[in-house]
Amino acid sequence: MSTPFSYPSDREEQSAAQVRALEALLIEKGVITHTTVDKVLGYFESEMTPLNGQKIVARAWVDPDFAALLATDAPAAVAQLDLPDGMAGAEGEHLAAVLNEPGVHNLVICTLCSCFPWPVLGLPPYWYKDPVFRARAAREPRAVLTELGVPLDDDTEVRVWDSSGHSRWFVVPERPAGTEGWTEDQLAALVTTESMIGVALADVPAPV
Amino acid sequence: MSSDVVDFTYDADGKAVFHDSCVTDLDQPTFDAEWQRRAFGLAVALSEFRHYEWTDFQQALIGEIGAWEKAPADARGRWEYYEHWVSALHEVVAGHGLLEEGYVNPEDRDEHDDHQPPAPTVPSTPTPRPS
Repeated sequence: MSTPFSYPSDREEQSAAQVRALEALLIEKGVITHTTVDKVLGYFESEMTPLNGQKIVARAWVDPDFAALLATDAPAAVAQLDLPDGMAGAEGEHLAAVLNEPGVHNLVICTLCSCFPWPVLGLPPYWYKDPVFRARAAREPRAVLTELGVPLDDDTEVRVWDSSGHSRWFVVPERPAGTEGWTEDQLAALVTTESMIGVALADVPAPV
Repeated sequence: MSSDVVDFTYDADGKAVFHDSCVTDLDQPTFDAEWQRRAFGLAVALSEFRHYEWTDFQQALIGEIGAWEKAPADARGRWEYYEHWVSALHEVVAGHGLLEEGYVNPEDRDEHDDHQPPAPTVPSTPTPRPS
């Protein structure tokens, strides 16, 4: 693919060889088996997906008590939902939610590396780790949001949350108008990964 | 952070260019290559099976990325996130002695042996045990 991240193929082959060699050595030493990495990857790729975050947001939209708990104690709120095991581990241990509201838009970044609430959003998209996004979103979040298609009124406050080992933030976007009476499943379909990072709004319902 | 030294690519209007996946919910790559995926899985697996604390890996990764960002633009390679990931992985594997003679897997350690590191306090994701 053509991206700003293309780099010499020998450099890529060198990295690939390093990873192959390290895994082979760890297997040879008995630290892991030849299936360990695949099992862990399989778990992450099948269970830790944005579907979890979509369900959490949809519940918050229909249940104010849940939304209030989510804002103050996200792990406790998430534990109330029927989500896959492991929601408390693997970067989910310090899950924290921030709720958009009229006049307040939240944006999540990680300026130091790539902290991300894997259990609710899956693995971060490549651009989340990009130094351009990380630096510019911290420095000029309003301009970045405008470029990404989220122009905000001047009187809307932008709050930038820097994820870290202590807090892994995700955003509960505002519930779109015109969704009164919708089921949680219908609402969840409007919640994109980007909206839970804060670089987009929830989708608007398609005209009936 | 040292945002001032990041060598952005700029468009014709002088704006720094985002990764081209940063515009849509579709087609957002998590990994650009299989070796990146395996490096990710390896780092997580070793933490999940308690060979090191995840925070140890994070600190190593933060250190690697920070060193790249602080280096002069003409003295560092092009940005590639997972190269830093692999460097951090080597660092924690070496730092915790995983490849040294006599290394004992966490599940085989005697909990009363004071010479072994304590069990992690961070709750672990119930991924399958190695077979």
